[in-house]
Amino acid sequence: MKSLTFIFVSLLSGVIAGVILAGVNYFVAEPFIDQAIGIEVDNSIASGEVVDFDELSSYRIWQKEGTFAAGAFLGLTYGAILGIVYVISRKYLPSSDDRKKALILAAIMCLSLYVVPFIKYPANPPAVGDPETIGLRDSLYTSYQLASGLIALGVSILMYKLRRIGYIKYVIPVIYLGLVASIYAIFPANPDEITAPMDLVNAFRAVTFGTMVMFYLVLGTLFGIMWNKFKPHETARIAA
Amino acid sequence: MSLHHDQRVVEKDGIPKVSIAVLAIIAIFSIYIVGYDQGQLFSLVQGSEAYDTMWLHEFTHDIRHAAGFPCH
Repeated sequence: MKSLTFIFVSLLSGVIAGVILAGVNYFVAEPFIDQAIGIEVDNSIASGEVVDFDELSSYRIWQKEGTFAAGAFLGLTYGAILGIVYVISRKYLPSSDDRKKALILAAIMCLSLYVVPFIKYPANPPAVGDPETIGLRDSLYTSYQLASGLIALGVSILMYKLRRIGYIKYVIPVIYLGLVASIYAIFPANPDEITAPMDLVNAFRAVTFGTMVMFYLVLGTLFGIMWNKFKPHETARIAA
Repeated sequence: MSLHHDQRVVEKDGIPKVSIAVLAIIAIFSIYIVGYDQGQLFSLVQGSEAYDTMWLHEFTHDIRHAAGFPCH
């Protein structure tokens, strides 16, 4: 195993996917964020707060420009996770092509770490969320992601161990759906009431869902291409 | 004939533990920055003022919302 190449492939694919995500969001998600912040400002004025528009403007510049660096950090996170899981599970993943293997794993990560948590705790734009409950909401979201990830991992291991049983491919999805439904029922709902217009909230959710799924697919594709090119799993090529 | 036909590829199944540890540390640190910081990191140098300015939080604000993390 070429360790540095392995780390390089994981992080670089993540950073590129994250910056692409930020670039796409800049055009498709930012208009909704601007709209939601406008509602926040209107609410603050209506409640008698003094709003410093110069400060607000400088914050928005900072937030919008920061989104590219933040996208890179997000990419580092999921690129690193993809790399760790890939290097452990590579020989168990279907297909002999690293590009397909990586895409399959990225799709599983997308399902378990993003789509399943999104169903319970969908993304919200600014103007939704009580600052007093942020600790609880962070804990719930993280625990849910962790639980969903562990379910996917456990079911994958079970499927591999029982692969010789012919009907297992029909049983596994039922077990998976049962476990996902269980955590959906057990975890408490988001404690915050949505006071922003639902049209805005739903549009924001639809757009960001699309860009996040795109992010995972781009990450898996880039990781697979780079792995296939640099082959970190090969220790050496020697003359036969 | 391609050079590769005269070569044998050597692979070892060992799990690269140090590399995994490095990636895990990077993943935890970067997810904390993107998804969770509410002024805590900058408070180490800026003091309690960091909880009001929340520069790091604001810097990651938009992607935090868009990636589905709770924000404020």
